[in-house]
Amino acid sequence: MRQSNRRGLALTACAVLLVSGCGHETKVTRVDAGVVTDLSGRWNDTDSRMVAESMVKEALEYPWLTHFSRENRRQPVVIVGTVLNNSHEHINVQTFITDLERELTNSQKVTFVAGKGERDEIRTERKEQAVYAREETQKAPGKETGADYMMKGTIATILDEAEGTKAVLYQVDLQMIDLESNVKVWYGQKKIKKVVEKKRTAF
Amino acid sequence: MSQFLSRFAHGGCVRWGVANLISCTAFLSGLILLNGCGPSVNRYALIDQSLLAGDPARAAEIVEQNANEYGATSRLLYGMDRGITLQLAGRYRESNAELDRAEEEVERLYTRTIRSETAAFLSNDNALPYEGDAYEHVMINVIKALNYAAQGQLQEALVEARRIDHRLNVLSDRVQETGRYRSDGFARYLTGILYEAAGELNNAFIAYRNAFEAYEAMSGWSRTPPPPSLRSDLLRTAEALDLTAEFERYRQAFPDVAFESVPAHEQLAQVILISYNGRAPRKEDRYIDLPVSVDALQLVLLNRGLSQSAFQRNRAADSLLYGINGQVVRVALPRLVSQKTRVPFEAMTLTDTGGRAVTVRSELAHNVTALAEKSLSERMPAITSKALARAATKFAMAEGATFGAVQAAGRDIGPLVGLIVGLLTKGLAVASEEADKRSWQTLPDEIHVARAWVSPGLHQVSIQPSGQGKGERLLNLDQGQTTFLIQRVME
Repeated sequence: MRQSNRRGLALTACAVLLVSGCGHETKVTRVDAGVVTDLSGRWNDTDSRMVAESMVKEALEYPWLTHFSRENRRQPVVIVGTVLNNSHEHINVQTFITDLERELTNSQKVTFVAGKGERDEIRTERKEQAVYAREETQKAPGKETGADYMMKGTIATILDEAEGTKAVLYQVDLQMIDLESNVKVWYGQKKIKKVVEKKRTAF
Repeated sequence: MSQFLSRFAHGGCVRWGVANLISCTAFLSGLILLNGCGPSVNRYALIDQSLLAGDPARAAEIVEQNANEYGATSRLLYGMDRGITLQLAGRYRESNAELDRAEEEVERLYTRTIRSETAAFLSNDNALPYEGDAYEHVMINVIKALNYAAQGQLQEALVEARRIDHRLNVLSDRVQETGRYRSDGFARYLTGILYEAAGELNNAFIAYRNAFEAYEAMSGWSRTPPPPSLRSDLLRTAEALDLTAEFERYRQAFPDVAFESVPAHEQLAQVILISYNGRAPRKEDRYIDLPVSVDALQLVLLNRGLSQSAFQRNRAADSLLYGINGQVVRVALPRLVSQKTRVPFEAMTLTDTGGRAVTVRSELAHNVTALAEKSLSERMPAITSKALARAATKFAMAEGATFGAVQAAGRDIGPLVGLIVGLLTKGLAVASEEADKRSWQTLPDEIHVARAWVSPGLHQVSIQPSGQGKGERLLNLDQGQTTFLIQRVME
């Protein structure tokens, strides 16, 4: 009797093991948004955030900011222009631009104004206010704050690959350009290098 | 396996008696016969029918409905078939999403698993995940680039252009022999067109030059000379970049080629026609039956005499026949059957509102059939030696199983069990032999390209032959704009 119980137990255990080995299990783990998650080697949210943080910090440490503030007795007004994707990946540049905008705004060292896409929407809203809103609540046109500087740049990649090993160098170049004189007051560069290795055979 | 079959014979069939043994044989013979039968309806015939009827949306639907039939081992093939049919249906974003997955699958399949390699060695290469040929991998990026270009997203199309460049660079590093497929004239040419459309003249010139060199390098087997337009492109971009030495060299090489300057083109709008013509070749089994005795030789010769075609055989009947004889080893190899287009070129006419018409003729830019033939011929030695090794292993295992079964069954019933196990194992060895006939069959036989520069404004576009029933359409073109038109001609 005891022997048959043991056999039954062993069979059940085997069945459980087999079942657990066969099924597809989806595992979800909640992680902090700051955790680095390099899964495929491609440009990801961590790269976007880290590059934006460090480059904006660097840009605001340079003397152009203090020069402007001293001469004009106010913070410079900055706008983010085009960030061109010259890489081998379909990078969501808008996410990176948003990261840059957030860092610039939160720095409290510059005044940040809405970019081209957002401006169009706001102007349409103002036009509609002129028709539909009460007069005392309408916002007048021609009172926008013009930017003093535009931050723009490129994301490029250099790839090297052989025998399943791929080295990817991401190079992000950003420039701060004086909108009146076209003078480039700051030029920043950030590089990220990743090596992705793939095995040729596995069990 | 022999041990398993011996035990099966000893512990199973022997105890049941002769009646059960016969029913057991009948059941297993049925399994062999079933194993020899393919899917009843060929999905590619249905896809071709839909494309011929000018209904690519239906073709994309058929691919999706057959997702299970593609199976886990043909995920890449599914993605490629679905990607190109979605493109033809004008669903470019979905097409790119599918082709993104296909590209990821190509990356994933770089790592080969020993488990699937072993399974394929014991059955056939269809048990292996479909990895695709190098030219098919390049075509994934080509179609993605065209999808972005057709949506007017030139910067995204340029990402694909860079990916094509990288893929071809890695390929040319890996394949050192110059006579092999190691570059791609059409893919390079398309990247040049995209760079020029985006105003990146330097990159465009380099791409055109690489394309010309690739066409020349492939000329021995690709049956595709450099398109005449490529010569004008080289002259135009070399002149615009003030590359005097290069311009003079190309001017001497193509003294009769006329071209318009880049500033002249900048005042105009460009319309590019990409025409997919015909169907890519399909693969068939080519069976080679190797007799290992004089009796078997006679049987093979007799069977060949009865067969109507050297390639299309009745696999179920062969399996039974060779299983009974037990002295025939079958090897299956793939062979290509071309499905050539009958359309040598298209004529695209753009007529403006004033009635002025510009007509351009398309040029052959890509011969997919030639690429498929080259690719298969390069892989054939490896496929053949693997198939021979597999056939020998299967035969040895069948012999071992038969011997083991005879020994286990004992003196009385041994010969009968030996006969049955021999029939089953050797029949199964013959029946399971099948070449890997998978390929990207929804590709065309040829790709033709036509480029027209016209004054900006409203134009009526007429293409003959048109394919998909869209012979005429209206285009409103801006100065400097490049518009891509993609069509499928099945004839």
